[in-house]
Amino acid sequence: MTGQFYTMGVDVGGSYVKAVLVNYSDNPKIIDKHAEKIRKRNPADVAGELVNYILQNNGLQYEDIAYLASTGEGELVRRKKGHFYSMTTHSKGGEFLCPGVKTVVDMGALYVRAIKIGERARVLDYKMTGQCASGSGQFIENISRYLGLAIEEVGSVSLEADHPEVPSGICAVLAETDVINMVSRGITTPNIIKGIHLSIGGRIIKLMSALKAESPVMLAGGLAINKGMVQAIRELLKDTKYEFEIVTHPDAIYSGAIGAALWGGFRHVKLSKEQAVLV
Amino acid sequence: MSKEVVKEKSMVLQKEMLGKHFIELSRTHETGKKVVYTFVPGNLSELILAFGMLPVYPEINALQSGMRKKSGSFIREAEKMGHSEDVCTYVKCDIGMMLNGNIGPTGEKLPPPDLLLLSYTGCFTFMKWFESLERLYPGVPVAMLHTPYQENGEMTEEMTNYMVEQLKQEVIPKMEMVSGNKYDESKLAGILENSAKAEDLIVKIFSTTKNRPSPIDAYFAGVYYIGPINSGFRGTPEAVTYYEALYEEILERVRLGLGPITPEGEMEEERFRLVVEGPPNWTSFREFWKLFYDMGAVVVASSYTKVGGMHDLGFRHDPAQPLASLGKYCMNCYTNLNLPQRIDLLAKYITEYHADGFLVNSIKSCNSFSAGQLLMMRQLEERLGIPVSFIESDLVDPRYFSYSNIKNRLDSFFQMLDQRKIIKGQMEETTA
Ligand code: SF4
Repeated sequence: MTGQFYTMGVDVGGSYVKAVLVNYSDNPKIIDKHAEKIRKRNPADVAGELVNYILQNNGLQYEDIAYLASTGEGELVRRKKGHFYSMTTHSKGGEFLCPGVKTVVDMGALYVRAIKIGERARVLDYKMTGQCASGSGQFIENISRYLGLAIEEVGSVSLEADHPEVPSGICAVLAETDVINMVSRGITTPNIIKGIHLSIGGRIIKLMSALKAESPVMLAGGLAINKGMVQAIRELLKDTKYEFEIVTHPDAIYSGAIGAALWGGFRHVKLSKEQAVLV
Repeated sequence: MSKEVVKEKSMVLQKEMLGKHFIELSRTHETGKKVVYTFVPGNLSELILAFGMLPVYPEINALQSGMRKKSGSFIREAEKMGHSEDVCTYVKCDIGMMLNGNIGPTGEKLPPPDLLLLSYTGCFTFMKWFESLERLYPGVPVAMLHTPYQENGEMTEEMTNYMVEQLKQEVIPKMEMVSGNKYDESKLAGILENSAKAEDLIVKIFSTTKNRPSPIDAYFAGVYYIGPINSGFRGTPEAVTYYEALYEEILERVRLGLGPITPEGEMEEERFRLVVEGPPNWTSFREFWKLFYDMGAVVVASSYTKVGGMHDLGFRHDPAQPLASLGKYCMNCYTNLNLPQRIDLLAKYITEYHADGFLVNSIKSCNSFSAGQLLMMRQLEERLGIPVSFIESDLVDPRYFSYSNIKNRLDSFFQMLDQRKIIKGQMEETTA
């Protein structure tokens, strides 16, 4: 290891750009982190602004960052040194936040992906949900908008449910129609939201079983900070034969960005050593 | 990737052939040649040629409209007429094109049909499609050829006899009536001789992908290679010349150890070898292809390029038994095979062509291909233990091509392939 240095990881997702600043060493530390909603803007611009914001916030210049790494749709990130596959970064970030995890479930805006990981966060296998939007974070966002909820409220509102109503899990369009029906039938907002969490949760459990996931299973990605979603998965698991141990972390939304920053640090050390040999 | 794109002799030949064909079609009102509308899977090109008629394949027109970014408005036009969103988009594109003056892909007007030859192979939509065309062209005779599905995974003698009887009693009499020519078996046999030659060459061409690097992409470039046999030229001397030239060019690539040519030049490093199931997306064809060649992914075999015939399983048109071989040909096309047959075939491709992974492009429109694809994928994953992936798009409806969704899935897939290679390499190192 060659002392300490800064690395930055930028994860461009379907809905948010996430960035973290890491003080890289044998014992890396997260110094700063931010997530910014894309909102119909050019993701490359949002990523650029976020990088500048974090630099300014910490009194740093671009040159102070030994390695700026991107992941996700991060091929768009300007001034990056390298790009990493998103499964690799989520595994690395997941393992950093919850050491010892064997499966990372990346629950994003467009899809959910369960990744089985081995030693040193190596990706061993994966399974992804189908293309239909009803299994994704974007779907929850659409429904919450329809119900007049801010996305941040969705998790806690879901925890208030007493008789959740589960919509059709087959198709986003049908599920949206179901929700409209529920509203007109007077079903309460918490029960509708919880029902949606249960429907998505059911799909996620199917995904884990198809992958033959091993515990502990870490829930990561944007949906993992939604307490209602995590709770729904835990409840559903009680009624199944699966005994997955579910863990998560308040910074789970940053797992990709953290993984990118850590891989960036690793690559920087490697490159420095190679250069030293050349000298 | 090297940027230089050279027009090969075969490309020029293909362009000339197609150009000539569409000009001929646009002049039928002067030449008096009769026009047969028919379908690609299990098509009877040779029989049509034997009667001196010209074929029109609506699927080919639809895919060409898709590539030329015209299909979106044609589809909307057909939907306005009442065709549902769920109807196959080839059908809607075709109907939309007809409603818009029936201007073909080369800009020439296509003539109306003199005969609708419904060679019903594997897809129920064909019937509904021609019911719509019958309404658009009232009074045009329809010849129906019902091809039995290989439900039990075989073609029996009874099935072949059934096909021959239909040809004799339904198809040939209608063709004689429309063309004014008598059925001439020796003329048909002569045409079939050329078909068999072209088929021999096609088989050789698609087996060159067993080389490393593969000299061609059997899917994205493969769809161009199957153009002539699927669009009415099978049985012509021009098709034989085209495939001879193409084969020569590919052999030269093998000799030089070159990889496939892409729209951005030559692929320099072959990183992943794939087998792909399902038709491609036509509206974003280039963008779709780029997602693969940018990653060094080459398709070494695909089921879609077998939609016009399973020649690699040994079938050839046979001048010694013209009608029976036409019948067998129809029953032999990929979408007329049952699911276990398709799975066995794909497993054979994956093994023989040393593929690293298997990918399904599931087409929203096409039941004939899409039904059972998930099951096929799971079985292949279990049987062969290779990484598999599933993406969804459509043939010619631009609304169903979601770039980010497809890219996300392909990224994960390629990463898995990469990882497997690393693990395999390490295992080989430790066992060495
Ligand atoms: S459903 Fe498929 S096979 Fe049938 S007509 Fe449409 S594209 Fe062709």
